[in-house]
Amino acid sequence: MIARQRIATVIASTPVARVLGTPRTYATLREIETRLKSIKNIEKITNTMMIVASTRMSKAERAMQNSRVYEGAASILAKKAEAAVSADPSKTLLVVMTSDKGLCGSIHSQVARRARQYLSENSNVDLVVIGDKSKAQLQRTNAAEIKLSFSGVGKEAPTYGEAALIADEIEKLGDYDNIKLLYNKFVTGVSFEPTILDVYTAKELQAAPKVGQFEIEDENVPKDFSEFTLASQILYGLSEGHAAEISARRNAMDNASKNANDMINKYSILYNRTRQAVITNELVDIITGASSLE
Amino acid sequence: MLRLVGLRTNLKLTGLKPLQRLYATEGAPVASGALRLTLACPNKVLFKNKDVTQVNLPSTAGSIGILADHVPTVEELVPGVVEVLSSAQADAEKFFVAGGFATVTEGSELQINAVDAYPISAFRPEAVRTLLEEARKNSTSSDEEVAAQAKVELELLEALSAVVK
Repeated sequence: MIARQRIATVIASTPVARVLGTPRTYATLREIETRLKSIKNIEKITNTMMIVASTRMSKAERAMQNSRVYEGAASILAKKAEAAVSADPSKTLLVVMTSDKGLCGSIHSQVARRARQYLSENSNVDLVVIGDKSKAQLQRTNAAEIKLSFSGVGKEAPTYGEAALIADEIEKLGDYDNIKLLYNKFVTGVSFEPTILDVYTAKELQAAPKVGQFEIEDENVPKDFSEFTLASQILYGLSEGHAAEISARRNAMDNASKNANDMINKYSILYNRTRQAVITNELVDIITGASSLE
Repeated sequence: MLRLVGLRTNLKLTGLKPLQRLYATEGAPVASGALRLTLACPNKVLFKNKDVTQVNLPSTAGSIGILADHVPTVEELVPGVVEVLSSAQADAEKFFVAGGFATVTEGSELQINAVDAYPISAFRPEAVRTLLEEARKNSTSSDEEVAAQAKVELELLEALSAVVK
């Protein structure tokens, strides 16, 4: 009897058992087994997603490095001319860049949160939303501001064609004094940061203090250049966001796999202990029965 | 003066007419002698901060040659060949670009953003010819959208067929 009680206390003191309540005999054993199986399956899925994300990571990172050089070359004029955003823009456009897919931690909600913060701090802001994830989140709070939305972007590393198409549609929305891109900047493999990037309009470029040192003969150049830069910078934002998303997904799935493994360990121990308890119970019954016959 | 002599011989080599603007920065503060080139496409980087002697560009203002200490400028590129001359290589490296922008900044830095760029040797003349025929046919199409698209293609392909033989 003492042995039985001790086993019961041991089982009751394991953390999982406490969650489940005091283990009963056969039914609990079956329950634990099903639970264990489903956790093992989840672990397989998250682990596979982690491996897929890892393999795609290098490609995404390469595309991002490339787009950084490309963006650097595109924004050099604004930087050297010391362009500044219009002091009191009457109409601002905020382009929020995320993707359609989840299971990558808080990466999309952080962008959406930053967008909401920006909207609360500034008035007269219109939104263009890229990706279903941020669209779903922003539609709840700022449906009126959303002028345009895109989905299906970011399944693979973003291409210039996509960026040009988005830039084209944005141009069609009409004149904005100021265009800002909100994207996730890839900082390191484990961290990212929602960042706002200014895209200088032709007007802002022409008003830049040091633009005079540049020899610009063709009068179409500032306008063409700002349109071209918009597409280039959208591509840059998408590439950064894509790399950040994949690395976030890898980390999220890695953590999920680790947690699943922890649970598998706990449940395996619980399962074995419960089974042992059942066997001991039966033995005690048999021995008690046998000794009572003597 | 030494730099100027080098400049003249370079121009002679490429057969380019010297343009007035090439000499606009004679009084520029420091002559580093080399032009730092970055040539990037959306999907690849061809040059990154590479020291070269001269770059010839096809721009809306005509074909221009850029040397070290060129006056800061922004040029819109048209479909054509970008030639890169460096002291390390005897022959100029030639790339066909579909369009884009080139920005020259102070300190002899040239940044080229091309929509697409490939070495000339990567093109097949037959393929260019077939596409050119097709674009010619489509440019007279009654469908305005098709015709407009074909006109853009035609502009690019004509420039391409002139250099790919």
